[in-house]
Amino acid sequence: MSKFKEALAAKDFLLTVELDPPRGPELGPLTELAGQLAGRVDAVVVSDNRGARARLSPLLAGQALVKHSGAEVIMTLTCRDRNRLALISDLLAAAAAGVENLLLVSGDFVSLGDQPGTKPVYDLDSVQLLQLAAQMAQGRDPAGELAGPTPFFLGASLAPEARPLGPQVMKLKKKLAAGAGFLITKPLRGLAGLKEFAAAAGELPVKLIAGVEVAAGAEPAEVLSLAREVKAAGLAAGVHLAWPEQPQRLPDLVGQL
Amino acid sequence: MIVAQRKPFAEIAEAAAGYRRVLVAGCGTCVAVCLTGGEKEAGILAAQLDIAAQLGEREQAFGVACVERQCDREFLDELAAQVAEHDAVLSLACGAGIQFLAERYPDTPVLAGVNTTFIGINNDVGVWGERCRSCRDCLLSVTGGVCPIALCPKGMLNGPCGGAEDGKCETDRERDCAWTLIYQRLENTGRLANLEPIITARNHQASLPGRQVHPAYERRYSAHE
Repeated sequence: MSKFKEALAAKDFLLTVELDPPRGPELGPLTELAGQLAGRVDAVVVSDNRGARARLSPLLAGQALVKHSGAEVIMTLTCRDRNRLALISDLLAAAAAGVENLLLVSGDFVSLGDQPGTKPVYDLDSVQLLQLAAQMAQGRDPAGELAGPTPFFLGASLAPEARPLGPQVMKLKKKLAAGAGFLITKPLRGLAGLKEFAAAAGELPVKLIAGVEVAAGAEPAEVLSLAREVKAAGLAAGVHLAWPEQPQRLPDLVGQL
Repeated sequence: MIVAQRKPFAEIAEAAAGYRRVLVAGCGTCVAVCLTGGEKEAGILAAQLDIAAQLGEREQAFGVACVERQCDREFLDELAAQVAEHDAVLSLACGAGIQFLAERYPDTPVLAGVNTTFIGINNDVGVWGERCRSCRDCLLSVTGGVCPIALCPKGMLNGPCGGAEDGKCETDRERDCAWTLIYQRLENTGRLANLEPIITARNHQASLPGRQVHPAYERRYSAHE
């Protein structure tokens, strides 16, 4: 049973952080950083070529963190870089690696990244990927029986500040129907958008974690204040903290929340 | 229609440089309508190539031809005499026309003068927009007459991605989010219920080379196979 799932059910307010795998073959620093965060956060979300910029595979990074850091891992998997054969293969690999939680997303478009001429895949979209993972949790894939089930705790991303709201709410309902058990939002700019979204979407059957991010070149004071506002407003079951430029300062930041 | 864009002149001139007599072959249908490869454009390109050859002191001659459609055998046949008098043909047809021309005249080098860009519509004078990826499994009845495969860079089938902002796409804030258009159109026509079922993973048949036989001709062609 996923510890993150247990924490989500049991705790009033959760804290998760985002870590990028390295742009190089050395996993030591990532494992060490996750080790410092283990016990202080409820999960570490390992990103998957975030921003369409190539990095070490989240499968291998996820496995290293599960085995050596003591942190609870949520592994991100995008539709951008894999067709359904690769997705099935990687979902099986994630299960074998001991990863128990997944964040299944479509993925930033390739033109925003560092290989803008690459071929974008999107063989499945995020809803269909959730369906696939939910099916695999029952021990099957579209071709038939698997040798064993992959019982992941499945998460989806949410863009509460995207407008118009109607299409986003419609998409969220599909993600929930497809098997999303938790939600993490894109980094929020403030509370207003989330409030409007919550009003439009109504009561959600799963818990939502609000993303906040220290932007490039920014200092964390505003983000800390936004995170505290989220908590005080009772709009989310937790905060997901990212500081892509200076992840080494995340343990300090976590201490201030 | 099929929309194409003329290749940069330098690329065309370089491809044609090795041939003394080059026939610039226009196509009178789609590429003529998008002002890229019709009779007029073939004439202009031949004149440009002629001037460039003279300036470069290359002994080259450029003929001009244009047929109704390079994607039809009967029209390609009309070119036989002119093709025979040239060392190469520079086709301004779409990729299909260029290939069929090459297939029809297997002993003649065939060069491409355009980049075929998309199946699209004429938005305004001189402006074309993509509308169809010929995916072979049309969803337009469900998606309100707006194609998520052609108009959403990610081809999302179940709603917008998280990158949509104010109805615009994450790849370009000038580009409309296809899913916003789909949603609004279905809302305006009272058909939002269309979007309730999850559209499941698609059969990506378009990766295989297509072949289509009209039902009335099925017996005739199956007998040949």
